Amino acid sequence: MTDADESLVRRAQGGDTLAMGALLDALTPYVTRICGPIALSAGPDAAQEALIQVFRNLRRLREPAALYGWARAIAVREAVRVATRDARAAPADLTELPSRGDPLLGSDIRDVLRRLSPEHRAILVLRDVEGLDEESAAALLAVPKGTVKSRLHRARESFRKAWSS
Amino acid sequence: MTEIDLDPVRRLRILAAGVPGAAVTERVVAAPFEEVWALVADFEDGFGRFEPDMRDVTVSKVDGERVELLARSRFGMRARLSGVHRPGWFWAQSRFLLIGVAAHPEGEGTRVALTGGIRIPGRAALVPFGVRRAARGSLDRLEALLSPGPR
Repeated sequence: MTDADESLVRRAQGGDTLAMGALLDALTPYVTRICGPIALSAGPDAAQEALIQVFRNLRRLREPAALYGWARAIAVREAVRVATRDARAAPADLTELPSRGDPLLGSDIRDVLRRLSPEHRAILVLRDVEGLDEESAAALLAVPKGTVKSRLHRARESFRKAWSS
Repeated sequence: MTEIDLDPVRRLRILAAGVPGAAVTERVVAAPFEEVWALVADFEDGFGRFEPDMRDVTVSKVDGERVELLARSRFGMRARLSGVHRPGWFWAQSRFLLIGVAAHPEGEGTRVALTGGIRIPGRAALVPFGVRRAARGSLDRLEALLSPGPR
């Protein structure tokens, strides 16, 4: 977060709608990068909903430097909500993932993602894309750390095998 | 992983959500995007033919995607508008006026979204009277301009 970004947030909070537009340009790639892998085909809907929440509540953000962390929490929450609501994102248990050697495994990473629940995709994104520790990721998602830990491990293993096969 | 982009109509919905009192009015018009946007981007003539707030407009400055316009609104006020113009996107503000237009191809037509109105000075808020009716009127005129007769 640069000084210029902080100045943009303050101008947007002060009612300058052109600054709001510039802020939207800055936030869009960040929010879509989070929403895409979690909400999959509903990614654009999720990113739109998340950014609507960001702009609707922008004046409540007290510390402009916290913008990206705040937006990340909103993006993850909205992506999980939209993906859960969306019938296309029918969650499946990870035990249904193909095992190593299964020809299905290397064929379609998106299919592997689709088999995860939105919450699990969110954990993968937060841990492996955003670099959050397990506790922070679980807290952000309001999901108990213990119950997601083993499944996260399995999901990551499946991905590793899929990418390397 | 999953690359997504937000089209201009989605951007307009997002920004309008940050402007209390703003309403977004959308319609799919039966004309190609290029035709619709040629009319919007013609600030000194085409735009004012469907949007009363953009009548009598002079372009005073263009710097990349930043534009400055002098407009006389339907209430007779002079407005110095500063804005951003890209294909499918126009968003401009003056002290008293806000106007946003977005367009995106949809099927064989174009989805057009409008927002704007009289600004509460110094705030990202609009006087919430008649904004939807005004926008519907603008879209009616836009459709009429794009369909001059049987195709």
